[in-house]
Amino acid sequence: MMGNDGDDDAPLLLDAKAKRMRDLLSSFYAPNPSMPSHSHTDSSIHSSPDDINSSSFDPNHYMNILVNNSNLEGLLKRHVDMAAEIKNLDTDLQMLVYENYNKFISATDTIKRMKSNILGMEGNMEYLLDKSRSDSVNTSLFEKREHIEKLHRTCNLLRKVQFIYDLPDRLGKCIKSEAYADAVRFYTGAMPIFKAYGDSSFHDCKRASDEAIAIIVKNLEGKLFSDSEPIQVRAEAALLLKQLNFPVENLKAKLLERLEHSLKDSQLNPEEIKNASPSAHEVAIREFAEAIRSFRVIFPDSETQLVEIAKDLITRDFVITEEYVTTRICAADLLGVLRVIWNESLLMDEILQEEAVSNHFLEGAKAAVKLYVESAFSQLLLDISDCLLKVLKRDETEEHSLPVARDASTKLALQGGRNLLLEVCKILDDDSGIVDKLREPIIDWVQEGLQDFFRKLEDQFQSFSGKNNSSATQIHGLTEAAAFAGLVLVLAQLSAFIEQTAIPKINEELAVSFSAGSDRGYEYGPAFIPGDISRKFRSAGEKFLQQYINIRTQRISLLQKKRFATPKWIKHKEPREVHMFVDLFLQELKVIGNEVKQVLPQDTRKHRRSNASSASSKSNSFREEKLLLRSNTQRARSQLLETHLAKLFKQKVEIFTKVEYTQESVVTTIVKLCLKSLQEFVRLQTFNRSGFQQIQLDIQFLRTPLREIVEDEAAMDFLLDEVIVAATERCLDPIPLEAPILDKLIQAKLAKSSDQNTSPSS
Amino acid sequence: MQGASSGIGYGLKYQARCISDVKADTDHTTFLAGTLSLKEENEVHLIRLSSSGTELFCEGLFSHPNEIWDLVSCPFDQRIFSTVYSNGETYGAAIWQIPELYGELNSPQLEKITSLDNHVGKIKCILWWPSGRHDKLISIDEENLYLWSLDVSKKTAQIQSQDSAGMPHKISGGAWDPHDVNSVAATYESSLQLWDVRAMGKTISIECSHVRSVDYHPKRNHVLVTAEHESGIHIWDLRKPKVPIQELPGHTHWTWIVKCNPEYDGMILSAGTDSTVNLWLASLGNDDLSTESQAESPTHWVDPLLNTYSDYEDSIYGLTWSSREPWIFASLSYDGRVVVESVKPFISKK
Repeated sequence: MMGNDGDDDAPLLLDAKAKRMRDLLSSFYAPNPSMPSHSHTDSSIHSSPDDINSSSFDPNHYMNILVNNSNLEGLLKRHVDMAAEIKNLDTDLQMLVYENYNKFISATDTIKRMKSNILGMEGNMEYLLDKSRSDSVNTSLFEKREHIEKLHRTCNLLRKVQFIYDLPDRLGKCIKSEAYADAVRFYTGAMPIFKAYGDSSFHDCKRASDEAIAIIVKNLEGKLFSDSEPIQVRAEAALLLKQLNFPVENLKAKLLERLEHSLKDSQLNPEEIKNASPSAHEVAIREFAEAIRSFRVIFPDSETQLVEIAKDLITRDFVITEEYVTTRICAADLLGVLRVIWNESLLMDEILQEEAVSNHFLEGAKAAVKLYVESAFSQLLLDISDCLLKVLKRDETEEHSLPVARDASTKLALQGGRNLLLEVCKILDDDSGIVDKLREPIIDWVQEGLQDFFRKLEDQFQSFSGKNNSSATQIHGLTEAAAFAGLVLVLAQLSAFIEQTAIPKINEELAVSFSAGSDRGYEYGPAFIPGDISRKFRSAGEKFLQQYINIRTQRISLLQKKRFATPKWIKHKEPREVHMFVDLFLQELKVIGNEVKQVLPQDTRKHRRSNASSASSKSNSFREEKLLLRSNTQRARSQLLETHLAKLFKQKVEIFTKVEYTQESVVTTIVKLCLKSLQEFVRLQTFNRSGFQQIQLDIQFLRTPLREIVEDEAAMDFLLDEVIVAATERCLDPIPLEAPILDKLIQAKLAKSSDQNTSPSS
Repeated sequence: MQGASSGIGYGLKYQARCISDVKADTDHTTFLAGTLSLKEENEVHLIRLSSSGTELFCEGLFSHPNEIWDLVSCPFDQRIFSTVYSNGETYGAAIWQIPELYGELNSPQLEKITSLDNHVGKIKCILWWPSGRHDKLISIDEENLYLWSLDVSKKTAQIQSQDSAGMPHKISGGAWDPHDVNSVAATYESSLQLWDVRAMGKTISIECSHVRSVDYHPKRNHVLVTAEHESGIHIWDLRKPKVPIQELPGHTHWTWIVKCNPEYDGMILSAGTDSTVNLWLASLGNDDLSTESQAESPTHWVDPLLNTYSDYEDSIYGLTWSSREPWIFASLSYDGRVVVESVKPFISKK
């Protein structure tokens, strides 16, 4: 409890003291003395005389109360307090007095200053009075002046009106004297008025002058469009028209259109360039150039449009050129055309003082030359394939068409390729500056073109050979099948030729004329890779040759199959004559021989046949006899052993050697394959003695004609022997025909066939 | 060539055309070969590869009454096999059993289980049920196809059904589909004809000329390989019978026989009358053999020919993979020489 009270009392006491200080001060200034009374609510309840601050303070009363109420200590304390309070009040009072004094001094200063300022006012006031007097004069004159001004304005207006009323006449005069410039000046001067009052007061006038202006405009237009007028006049006219707010742009467009139109009439005619030196086109271009020149003067701001037109011209020329390029032209022609266009573009550039047109030309030329190179290659491709396809179409005159096709196509492949290179060289060698920037791209295009050309050619070959690949040989007629075989053979030869001759030569030429570096960079290497192409053609050629051999052997195989499937060999009758199958076989071989002779070259390395044939045939027949003798006397088993032994000692005959591109090699391969097939067919049968003898007879008969055809006699003899051996093995009773009978039958056959041969010819 | 050093040779006494893998012998790599001699006593050789794999020895030698044109070992009993034979005039087919005590006899006779007697024309081949023990057999002659039911214990065979080839054609051989046992393929001169065995009716036909040999892909359904005389080897998808999936060039002369490896995908063996055996690796692409894989193949084209074995003196008509050791094959050339080769060096390449 106690602690609580002490805590509360201390702030209250402080507060009360400050408050009282404030009250004291305010009471000192404040007029209302009753104000502080409310602060001491408890003391104001008591009577006012004991309140020290109130007006009704009674010191005696206060003393009495004080003495009565307090002890000595309290009184002493009261005394001290009172003394301090009095002292405080004294200082406060002093300060207030001092402040008031300060204020008073500054007020006196101000009054002093005011007094000195008022002195200069007099003069100013007098000047003011003077001024007010002249102003009154001015105001008196004002009205008159205003009137004068009004009159002046009216006069001006009247003059203008006069001018406007005179305008139509004046314009008319101007038209008469062709002083259009003045007319336009007048009219534009009057324009604001017409604009303001044209609809009301000056209606007639405006109409009349408009009419006049219309005439002027028409005349000006006429001047602008007439080519006979001097350029200066036309330019002026254009300017005037522009001032008249006439839609000059339309005129310009119209004029441009006319320009363009004039161009259309004079299209580039490449054929003409070849003949007449200043062609119609060139003349037209010259005119056009003049027109452009004047146009440029007339409409100075139309350069971009003119450049466009010139570019259009060049573009159009190139469109024609590109069309022209695709119609088999030579490089000189192309160059001629390019030169013409080049001159054109130079002329344009000169007039327009820009390089835009010649740059445009370069682009066009680039495209044209590229197209030229491409079309040259594609033409060549087309030529070659046309040439080849003739083989298929002309089956009636097949005899002639094969070598023709071969020669033509090989010539095309080599000569065409070289010519093409020569042509392109001509373009490269041209020194007129047209192709300066195109040289490297051209080299690249040629290389790419070559690569592409050969690749396409190979594809084309493949597609030709693939055409009848599957089952067509049976479906189509025999003649067509034969023609197809011929085509394949030509393809084979052509591929070999391209690989062995054309590509190296073309590559040589390429190295000579197109050695200048290309911008492809080394890492890519040249676009034309002869090794790659050669490889492709080598494999293609081999494939075609193989295909040809396959087609031919398949036909013979069919014959053989029929031959062996039809009779019952086990119940064969005694042989009376050489079987017809042999004829058919030889006939097929003859056809093949002919075909091959027409297309493939002869083997130049070996000429041994002519001198060696007699000897070998002798030895062969000798061996044959021995063989037959042996088979006659010995049993098959020991004979088998012996043939095995013989094989061991004999050099192993290579039956399936690599085919070469020679007549002999191909025919030999085909014969070998057929004889091998014959052997296999024989092995699948079982023969009685007569059947065996028939085979023996047929084979014996085959020996001589085959010897004439075939290059590799050893292999052929071996194979023929093998057929006999196979027949011996597959025969239940292999007793061969006696040699005289065999001979007799063969002679009979020979006589018969020579009869057949001579009878149609005689 | 490479084949010259690695091949293991074995000589038959006479000329021969057929060799068969003895599938049922799981302990040894064994082959059966039959000779083709018109006038001599023909033999069937049971040839076994030594466990070291370096030697071929004769496990059994049995005389066979006629020259053998076709020989197939029974897939479930190593002692049973079938032959097609001819005496020069007529053809016959029979099922044989190797006698139990053949080791003790000098030249033991084969026990004939039964002969398949209904044929009139040239019998071409006999097909066993493709896998496991089953009583069905098919025999094919030039004009007809017979389905037999064989009872080994009773030594009888009965015709179940039959169909004719159709007049203008002659059948040259056939194969039984290992994936669909109801389907049999037979080769004609100008086509490949499939039969449904249940109904004995023709189903699909594929146009291709001079088919000599046909073999089903052992792993892939619908895929089969044909060998043609002149145009090499074709791989077909039966779902798309118009165009072959792939063509392989085959041989210089006729391609006689073609065999798919029983284990390694795409590995194909072919033999021909040019006295060579060629080992091919066909890229068969994905299982669904879409056109995409066809289009893709020429871009990364690799030579499918892995190797040529050319150490032969005569045409090769007999060729078989070993089912026990699928990297081994046996070939038989006409002069009676069996050569066993291993293709292991080419498998590792894959």
